[in-house]
Amino acid sequence: MKNIKIILCFLAIVSCTKEPITVTTKDYHLLVDKLTEVMIHDIFSPPVASRIYAYPNIAAYQVLNNTNGNYASLSSKLNGLNISETILINEKTNKELAALIAYLDVAKELVFSKEKITTFRDSLYNNWEAKNNTEFNLAKKEALKVSSNIISWMNKDQYKETRTMPEFTVYSDDPSRWQPTPPAYMKGIEPHWNKIRTFVLDSAAQFKPIPPPKFSLEKGSDFYNELIDLYNLTNKITEKGNVSEEVAIAQFWDCNPYVAVNKGHFMFASKKITPGAHWIGICKIATQKTNSDFNKTVFAYTKTSIAIADAFISCWDEKYRSNLIRPETLINKYIDENWNPLLQTPPFPEYTSGHSVVSGAASRVLTNIFGDNFQFDDTTEIPYGLPVRSYDSFNKAADEAAISRVYGGIHYNSAVVEGLTQGINVGNFVIDNLQLTK
Amino acid sequence: MLFFSGFIIFLSCKDPIEEQTNYLFKELSTKQTNIGFANTLKEDKDHSIINYIYFYNGGGVAVGDINNDGLPDLYFVSNQNENKLFLNKGSLKFEDVTKKANVAGNSDWSTGVTMVDINNDGFLDIYVCAVSELLDFKGHNELFINNGDGTFSEESKKYGLDFKGYSTQAYFFDYDKDNDLDVYLVNHAIHTNLSHGKASQRNKRQPLVGDVLLKNESGVFKDVSDFAGIYGGVNSYGLSASISDFNNDGWDDIYVSNDFHEDDYYYINNKNGTFTEQLSKSFSTISRFSMGSDAADINADGFQDIITLDMLPNDEKSLKETEGDDAMLNMQTNLKNLGYKDQFSRNMLQINSGLGYFYETAFYNNISDTDWSWSPLIADFNNDGIQDVFISNGILRRPNSLDFKKYVSSTFKKYGEKEGVNWLFNSINEMPSGSVPNQIFKGTNTKLEDVTGNWIEKKPSLSNGAVYVDLDLDGDLDIVTNNVNTNASILENKTNNKNYLQVLLNYKEGNKEAIGSKLILHHKGKILKKEVYKSRGFISSISSKIHFGLDTVSTIDSLKIVWPNNKVKTLKNIKVNQLLTIDFSDEEKEYSPIKINKEEVFTKADILNYVHKEDRYNDFFNERLIPYKVSTLGPAFAIGDIDKNGFDDIFIGSASGKESGIYLNNGVSFKKSKQEAIEKDVDFEDNDACFFDADNDGDLDLYVASGINENRNNNFEYDRLYINNNSIFTRAKEKIIFNPLNTSTVTSSDFDKDGDTDLFIGNLSNPLNYGEFVNSAVLRNKNGILNADPKYIINSKITQSSFQDINNDGFDDLLIATEWDAPIIFINNNGELQKIEIPKNLNGLWQSITAFDIDNDGDKDIVLGNWGENTKLQKYIENPIYLYFGDFDGNNKKESIIAYKVVDNYYPLNTKDELASQMNIMSKRFVNHKDFALQPIEKVLTEEKLKGAIKRQIDVLSSGYLENNNGSFNKFVKLNSKLQMGPINHFLNLEMDNSSYLLVSGNSEKPSTYHGYYNSLKGFLVKNNTEVKELSALGVEPFNKQIKQTAVVKMKNKNLLFVLANNDSLKTYTFKK
Repeated sequence: MKNIKIILCFLAIVSCTKEPITVTTKDYHLLVDKLTEVMIHDIFSPPVASRIYAYPNIAAYQVLNNTNGNYASLSSKLNGLNISETILINEKTNKELAALIAYLDVAKELVFSKEKITTFRDSLYNNWEAKNNTEFNLAKKEALKVSSNIISWMNKDQYKETRTMPEFTVYSDDPSRWQPTPPAYMKGIEPHWNKIRTFVLDSAAQFKPIPPPKFSLEKGSDFYNELIDLYNLTNKITEKGNVSEEVAIAQFWDCNPYVAVNKGHFMFASKKITPGAHWIGICKIATQKTNSDFNKTVFAYTKTSIAIADAFISCWDEKYRSNLIRPETLINKYIDENWNPLLQTPPFPEYTSGHSVVSGAASRVLTNIFGDNFQFDDTTEIPYGLPVRSYDSFNKAADEAAISRVYGGIHYNSAVVEGLTQGINVGNFVIDNLQLTK
Repeated sequence: MLFFSGFIIFLSCKDPIEEQTNYLFKELSTKQTNIGFANTLKEDKDHSIINYIYFYNGGGVAVGDINNDGLPDLYFVSNQNENKLFLNKGSLKFEDVTKKANVAGNSDWSTGVTMVDINNDGFLDIYVCAVSELLDFKGHNELFINNGDGTFSEESKKYGLDFKGYSTQAYFFDYDKDNDLDVYLVNHAIHTNLSHGKASQRNKRQPLVGDVLLKNESGVFKDVSDFAGIYGGVNSYGLSASISDFNNDGWDDIYVSNDFHEDDYYYINNKNGTFTEQLSKSFSTISRFSMGSDAADINADGFQDIITLDMLPNDEKSLKETEGDDAMLNMQTNLKNLGYKDQFSRNMLQINSGLGYFYETAFYNNISDTDWSWSPLIADFNNDGIQDVFISNGILRRPNSLDFKKYVSSTFKKYGEKEGVNWLFNSINEMPSGSVPNQIFKGTNTKLEDVTGNWIEKKPSLSNGAVYVDLDLDGDLDIVTNNVNTNASILENKTNNKNYLQVLLNYKEGNKEAIGSKLILHHKGKILKKEVYKSRGFISSISSKIHFGLDTVSTIDSLKIVWPNNKVKTLKNIKVNQLLTIDFSDEEKEYSPIKINKEEVFTKADILNYVHKEDRYNDFFNERLIPYKVSTLGPAFAIGDIDKNGFDDIFIGSASGKESGIYLNNGVSFKKSKQEAIEKDVDFEDNDACFFDADNDGDLDLYVASGINENRNNNFEYDRLYINNNSIFTRAKEKIIFNPLNTSTVTSSDFDKDGDTDLFIGNLSNPLNYGEFVNSAVLRNKNGILNADPKYIINSKITQSSFQDINNDGFDDLLIATEWDAPIIFINNNGELQKIEIPKNLNGLWQSITAFDIDNDGDKDIVLGNWGENTKLQKYIENPIYLYFGDFDGNNKKESIIAYKVVDNYYPLNTKDELASQMNIMSKRFVNHKDFALQPIEKVLTEEKLKGAIKRQIDVLSSGYLENNNGSFNKFVKLNSKLQMGPINHFLNLEMDNSSYLLVSGNSEKPSTYHGYYNSLKGFLVKNNTEVKELSALGVEPFNKQIKQTAVVKMKNKNLLFVLANNDSLKTYTFKK
């Protein structure tokens, strides 16, 4: 009897003195990681993944900065986005908490396994509600005002329309045209990604790279030279074996969500994070290392993910313009039918290298936020069985990410060089045109 | 209380009795037989389906009388444990004599087994195959020589038969007729990056993996594979072979069933110690994952047919939860580029035409989808004189489960490569069970009939190796299967009151069992033909005792024995119901094979070189859910005397991007006419064409029906009219209506007899809107202007049309074939077309139509070509098949979705992944494949959306005719079963030797990979519905491609037959005038 009394008493105390809900950057990182996990489960292609990262961050950012924020509002700074300053004016709102809620609300619209996000969300909701239902309910109300605006803007970005556009046609009689590659021979993914609305860029073709070397299998031609150089280089790397630095670099930056694994009777995809996710991971490392506060953390994630998303649109625009055949197809057909690239060739045309464009863009934006010569240990790939690599700056990491594609045998040199340039252009444009610091 | 317990007793007594009396085969308990053998698998992280693809392929069973007591004994292979030999003690009792006999085997992984008297001492020896040098499997193929005293000695090395590698099964035969037994060893490949490479790798011999042919040289077996022309590449995933004299030339040929992407091999014996592989020449359609096989004369025509098994499930749930052919769109193209043949994941029942090729009939025979199938055994199980088929089934776990693939995909990479494999092993229980019932099919005079659940219990099992044998010597064939993890099944055949004959041959020293002999039994004009080969089905071997079921036949007219030396012995007036032992005696008579009389009515001619090459447009990249392409309708063809020299000239229309042309005929040869206007229109896709006098100036003008342009450029997608001026054609603008639809047919007639020629133009579709009906019309000619007559606008999907005078009243009637609609018949009543009533429920996928007296009663019937009865849709057609056309995902674009009925519900034909590729919402609505499987169409597309959709249906897929009963066409009759083997695209009315014929052609390569190609309609000349003759017996090459149409052009001294195929070269033949 005595025990019961004590408990009752305790309950009374709790319900009387409502603690404020404190939200930290850790909570935000948790959301981003959760989204990554669901994306890996659902297997999204790299361009689609970049879109999924961008919108929830934008929603969270906008909650913080729509009205009287530390940073400038994104309204009218991103293509097609207009959110009235009059929403979210209740100053009692716990903006950090509202940012988390808005993030989840947008994220759930983007993935296939919606219930994985909503289950996660509901357990958070329960905690917050138990802690302080008044504070929670206000934050939720205000957050959903913003997120519903973001969602309706998001739904107009042509994503839905591109789902049912024609697939990429494989022509068998044009020797330079991209062909599906072993072992799964998947169709070319996202042939219409250049029709997706850009965030900051004027158009998908704004930073159109110079065309790749003219296709030719004649010895001495620029194209042939790049092909044979790649063949020789990868053979040298293979000779050195698995301990070589080049192999380590190639594997570290693989970031192919589609690697098909042949085990026993069946083939399946061994999923990894996408190139975009890798840079989102680096962004996380930078905010942690600099002890960035909640506002800056969300700002960094948002700007980086916007740059990455625009980089993919820019890159995919070129990929399905040049429709260039992968080295694996050519080498197996004309040079060495037993040659295998170190990395599995991903299922889309070769030029330019997606990883190079994205790394170029993301590294410039991160440098702009956190400064050059930012030394960091990249632990992003640990969950996927890979070691830690250390870099002296974001730009150096980007250089390595780019060249890793040549080591991996999936890109010619031009795709990497021009891809990096293309990415840097995108990154600089985002920096110049998306001035958010007040 | 008393009453209650009485009730229980009553129930428990009745049930088992009923069960036992119901089945033709009674499963005997281990207690009854003493056969306590199970192929028990022990999986650990180093040995499992994860690191050995064939871990669940099971063990074989061999039957033979090892102690010569007249009773067949049984030997079972255990993959990992001891093999067992059971002596038959009579009355279906057996004794395990493995220990004494010393035949348990020493290999770590054993597979197939054959009993054969290798040393000709009159005692059967046992040859067991093994997988060695893979993982840590040690051992080699073993040969247990029968010492004649109940013991055996392993002597494989002495004979050169101690093969090391990935052996599946051995096939003993005397391919070189030197009177000793040689052996073909089927070995299997494993997945490596190389084995997914080019088809040509089969030329490069790979140790351990490649099949080998071993020649017996005085008792020692030598590898002669290379000399003999046997493939043995890194991609040879051999799982079985069937030895048979397929071409009836007296020499043993070989069909090898290869798993995965490697083609099967069809080796014809060159009679000089070598073979020629000619699969592509003789087979159009083959199984993708070919597993077990059996060769036998299943249709009693004297030619050996072959069945190959695959893994297409037959239940709706498994169909939607496992990976199927629908996922093959890109892969198929790629495999073709690598040099492989088109293959489809389903069983194939290949009927030997006797004319050098096979045609595939599994859908027609309801036997295409028996799930994960291993042994097919063709034999007469109910002694009714007609061959039946038993199929053993089941796999412990389904590695092609789509949810499992997704599950491992999302988790595997959390682990490093090495841990990943361990984790994968620990996850194998997540793979769904593939335990499925064995199946048995009863042969009838028409087609096979599934009698599973009637002849045998419908009970899920994991059966691999299987044999038939008369274990209890009661005159019928019992069945034995070797099962994974459960005891072997002994199925006692309870057939009664039916006659039989069993024959045991005793040939010369060297091949005492007479392997390679043929037995041909005649009674009352019927032929039953059997061959003596031991290894059959899958990793198993049968007795050399041949069994004939004879129904009520009481004496046999004659029995011919063709000995391995091709000498023939004939026995007459044989009594039934006995075991006949026939010893070899020297015979004079040479084997004269059963042959089909060939007559060269048509002679191949090279009169015109033309190749129709399709463009690159692929419908499935744009409309992913449609069942077949609507863009490959060419070539177009038209006949008419343009230059008025008395000989008909021709127009051939090509695919978009390829030049069409007019070819002028001088009575002896053709010459392409220079036509700038036509050359200029190279970007149009020509589907059909018609010469007619548009402007009434006395010469023939040309209407061309246009299809889908390669780049979907609308400027090149409307129909054209070309006006003839002194044999030069120019485009006439604004003389015809603007028709931008996908036009399939144009036909002309002055149907109103007003002195000028009118047209009918039929449209098939509006591109990108498959399910939509489109308008077609009669174009009435008024002073050279052709305008649609509003009276005759038809809303449908039209495939073919023809003006013909059915009722001989001098006015042309109009016949129209449609898809997802009924045929449309207009009778011409003094220039007025009147649509007539035809029987109800005749919606079909009609491809062709003509008038012809097919029932031979003196009036013209309306003959209708449909998809036929040999397609994947056949099993669903007992109920209407629906097509829903509507915007199911709210993107303002309509989808066309097919649904079929299984038991009580309609299900979407497409898989979840296919639907999701067109409608993103599906990925969200159904996260897992198991959430999607067995969801009726109302759940998949939602009731609400279905209500707003247009619903169309098909009622019939059979080709047939509307019988003319005094001018009314109120009865639909099916065409001859020969004409149901594939889609009929065209009927050519042909006059020859004062008789009227229909030349029937078809096939379709339009369907999606879900269907595969339908190429089994090899071409027929039809006099009436019972007189149907293969064109290939008359000098025409079998139709292996999609034939668009055939046509006759009269030349100076002879007639010319044109065979026009889509994406293939033109073939021409001459025949008598």
